[in-house]
Amino acid sequence: MFWLNLAWKSAWSRKYSLSLVAVSVCLSVIILLGVQQVRTDAKHSFSNALSGVDLVVGPRGSQTDLLLYSVFQLGTPTQNMSYTDLQRITQLPAVAWTIPIQLGDSFDGFPVMGTSIEFFKHYKSSGKNLSFQVGHAFEDPQVNPSALTQVVIGSEVAISKKLKLNDAFALTHGYKAIEETVHADHPFKLVGILKPTGTPLDRSVLISLEAFEALHVGWGMGLRPSAFDVKPNLQKDLPEIKELKPSELTAVWVGLHSRTAVFSARKAIESLRLNSTSVPLMAVLPGVALDELWQIVRVVENALIVIGALVAVCSLLGVVSVLLVGLSARRKELAIYRSLGARPASIFMTVAWETFLVCGLAIAAGVMGAQLLIFVFQDYLLQSFGIQTQNGWPGIDAWYSIGLLLCCALLASTLPAWRAYRMSLSDGLNPPN
Amino acid sequence: MTVAALELQNIEFSWPQQAKPLFAIAELTLQQGETLFIGGPSGCGKTSLLSLITGIQVAQHGTCRVLGTTMNQLSPSDRDRFRGEHLGLIFQQFNLLPFLTVQENIELPSKLFDRRLKKSTQLFGSVQAHVDRLCDALHLEPALRHRRANLLSVGEQQRVAAARALLGCPSLIVADEPTSALDEDNKIDFLNLLLSTASAQKTSVITVSHDMRIASNFDRVFLMPGQESQNVLA
Repeated sequence: MFWLNLAWKSAWSRKYSLSLVAVSVCLSVIILLGVQQVRTDAKHSFSNALSGVDLVVGPRGSQTDLLLYSVFQLGTPTQNMSYTDLQRITQLPAVAWTIPIQLGDSFDGFPVMGTSIEFFKHYKSSGKNLSFQVGHAFEDPQVNPSALTQVVIGSEVAISKKLKLNDAFALTHGYKAIEETVHADHPFKLVGILKPTGTPLDRSVLISLEAFEALHVGWGMGLRPSAFDVKPNLQKDLPEIKELKPSELTAVWVGLHSRTAVFSARKAIESLRLNSTSVPLMAVLPGVALDELWQIVRVVENALIVIGALVAVCSLLGVVSVLLVGLSARRKELAIYRSLGARPASIFMTVAWETFLVCGLAIAAGVMGAQLLIFVFQDYLLQSFGIQTQNGWPGIDAWYSIGLLLCCALLASTLPAWRAYRMSLSDGLNPPN
Repeated sequence: MTVAALELQNIEFSWPQQAKPLFAIAELTLQQGETLFIGGPSGCGKTSLLSLITGIQVAQHGTCRVLGTTMNQLSPSDRDRFRGEHLGLIFQQFNLLPFLTVQENIELPSKLFDRRLKKSTQLFGSVQAHVDRLCDALHLEPALRHRRANLLSVGEQQRVAAARALLGCPSLIVADEPTSALDEDNKIDFLNLLLSTASAQKTSVITVSHDMRIASNFDRVFLMPGQESQNVLA
């Protein structure tokens, strides 16, 4: 114990050179653990977003593309599906419920999602039904026509735009707000703010399909009607509520009575007979599509982890080299230990302990640093990438990395220790000056 | 009958892969409580002789008995332990751990070996009492004790080294050119303080030096063989 204490004091006297290499170890640990944690959290939050949905239906194409644009609002669809297919899917015997999804508009960068009141009944995140911070869901416009102006927003939107209940705002056609594309003639009234879910829904603006349709009456080529005509009051020209049905949808989320029927339901949906308006459909199992997505991302992921691991090894080698260089200046110190009766083995232990102490402290600081950084960038990760990060103890992957790093540190610490051992044997009490 | 502090018989020492021995000593004995000066020019093997006495090396031939213990018969780690428990060492310079205070440096032997701790406690009541006693005897002011060792002058550092060597009442002090880094006035002062403090504890002292002027302060003088090989009584 006394030797360990002495090693600590000796290391402390060289704290400036040692702290520099310790910082490099710490940074490499932050990279390694940060990548790992963000990866785990990304997978977690992506699968949370679809925990209650059995099938995602859209026009035939790439599975991952459909999932990315219809659930995570990343990328844009190239083709829509026919609205009439929604009824045909809903009528399939295996299907319990359907949620239509209509995308394309935005509100100051936040995506607008046209859907039905079914959404609030059936959508689950992390296995839990949706609940409201304040207010309620929008109503069915077929029942209450004033619901055409009702809007519900996710928690992030509310915080970022500082919106409260009954605030009014206009949506934007497409994703860029310029004067000619703002739906200024159709302002919405905020009726509900959802609780945080840790899914892309937190950044979404929800309106009814009918409202989505009403917004676009008279629009053409992505511009509002007044761009073509100077009719002052377009509200009068709105068709009857019953006729306010979209002709196309972006996607449909499907829930089944029983999950075991998922493959037969998929077959039934994909083999729906084509009619004059419909396009060939595809039904995607979210879990399978996510796996496909992770396989694409895995290369980048692994590259980042390999880089992180290499940086960690390099910085551990940095510690070793600094300590090795320092040893020649410490020959006198080692000779004093010998003169006081220290065995060469004690000298080995002292130097090994010192190296391990430096690396261990740096690794511990890196673990905490990674947590701190993730905590600081929590909002940014959620807003920009839809990744809900978790703070707290590192996950099992991270513990493996930490354990591996500590093993490397232990291995690295034997190098300067062995050198010190050899030196103290050959120098005895008389190191060269 | 008390055992001799040092008994060398028919010692021959050579470095590995060297045919010719560095030195050979037929006989050298030092009684407990006596002081011995070992003289000779640089390179004659004085320091190697000290490494035999302190158990860092062993002689190829002959017996080296320190305080009645035959060093050749101990294992390397037992020799290290023996050195820590029974010997006090002083070098020419840089004796102290620079990152410890004077007090911590002096205490080191008692922290490392229980035997040294118990001896100090038995004879002086506590380690601290012994440290105080040694510091007074070696003219180390109380204000110095909490200063970092590397902030001291060379003369002060040597006296702190002497205090550390004497803590825990080892039976034998081995000093390698302890006065070479000191100026003329300090040399004699330091030597007097070291020898008087050691004799107060009945500790034997062996000093090697090329500086024959200090030889007269010792009970016995031994010149390294190879030159005018003789064992002179001062």
